[in-house]
Amino acid sequence: MTDLREVLADAVADGALVATGGGELRRKPMAAVRTLAGLGRRELRLATMLGSADVEALLAAEAVVEVHSAGVALEGLAPRWREARQTGSPRVVEWSEGTFVAALQAAALGIDSQPWPAGLRTDLPAINPWLKEAADPHTGAAVLAVRALVPDVALLHVPTVDEEGNAHVEDDLVADGLLARVARRVVVTYERRTDADPALGAINALWITDLVQAPGGAAPTACAPDYGADSEGLRSL
Amino acid sequence: MSVADLLTGTLAEELAGSPQLRVFVETTPATGVAARAARLLRQQPLALVGGFTSLTGGPGRPRDWILDVFTLLRRGLLGVAPAPVQLDAAGRTNLSGIGTPGRPKVALIGPRGLPENNDTPCPLWYFLAAHSPRALVERVDIVCGPAPSGLGRRTLLSPAGCFDLVDGRWRARWLAPGGDELVAGAPALGIEVPAGTPVRERPEPATLDALEAVDPDGRRRAEFGE
Repeated sequence: MTDLREVLADAVADGALVATGGGELRRKPMAAVRTLAGLGRRELRLATMLGSADVEALLAAEAVVEVHSAGVALEGLAPRWREARQTGSPRVVEWSEGTFVAALQAAALGIDSQPWPAGLRTDLPAINPWLKEAADPHTGAAVLAVRALVPDVALLHVPTVDEEGNAHVEDDLVADGLLARVARRVVVTYERRTDADPALGAINALWITDLVQAPGGAAPTACAPDYGADSEGLRSL
Repeated sequence: MSVADLLTGTLAEELAGSPQLRVFVETTPATGVAARAARLLRQQPLALVGGFTSLTGGPGRPRDWILDVFTLLRRGLLGVAPAPVQLDAAGRTNLSGIGTPGRPKVALIGPRGLPENNDTPCPLWYFLAAHSPRALVERVDIVCGPAPSGLGRRTLLSPAGCFDLVDGRWRARWLAPGGDELVAGAPALGIEVPAGTPVRERPEPATLDALEAVDPDGRRRAEFGE
């Protein structure tokens, strides 16, 4: 399937755990997010390590009952994210960047939880049920046992895809590499085709379920090297 | 006297004096200027990253380095200068919100990486543009970064001066001009100012030269309202 609406209608059911890639104002899969919002899905659970326009758009569409993230901001604070946290609706699960990664690592390894050395002596375990303090069985040292987070669908956006279907990026992958490995279905939108060496691909085609061309598909967030963040677009979310 | 020059220059000198660091995370324009100036002042290479993106120098160009971040932190090789919304008397940090954990009265960004970077063997500088009693408190509302246990140096750079966390308490290393009044205006942090604490007005001349070389347009000053 090459039609984004068709792909997402097939991939995302009501109640699905949807993960979005990119980080902050970079490479957010906004074409997919807007299309998903237009499908009228309900009670979605959304997970993104560092959110921005993706979280705000899906909150605006009232499509989400739960958001998992280590932080959400636009060029300033993100109003819908703030309102959700202040009112408790939809439910927000706060992570740190590291515990979010640990939850994906656990999923990648197929284990129920992953020990993580940080986050102890903070308020996170009290407000995030995926985190539990535990003792290392070998040494007795305190760790956080981070429960695996397994997205039903990952939505990622990259600038280019090569002839073998590998995704290429110009900047850092953030958590996209892990998301591609753990999500049950991985939908990658891209700006254009490239003749770059497939060996240099950032996300191997092995992990990608659906490839859909979507020029400008990260706007109003940035997609290096094609375009930067659009301040006006971010303000009008 | 420019507070921006004093604090950005001091951070540059601190980075130059931390040869173990391989990477620095650029959190604000001024911290990026400090790191670029530090490159001119130190012999060792220093890679710069902006959050998780845009490596702008140093060894290689990692595209999938998210796990490397946490390894660098655990090995004491990554420098960061965060600007938490609240910093407390024990060095705990907060970027999540004001009020009750899980249901803040004023929600902000979120914990980000503070739980990972606040208690590590890496040196860390809290880089604040204001020495405000609203930000510098006895105990943060929401504990994102745990109290440092002394594994690595923890330093506060603010318009009041330079302060080190020693044995769980803040102590002045030097004051900026007028810093004693700012310290008195934020008493909850419990800063100790030993008798004879020097006043520092500006960085070393070589540091100022380095700042001008990497930031001729003075981007560092906007952060301080100059």
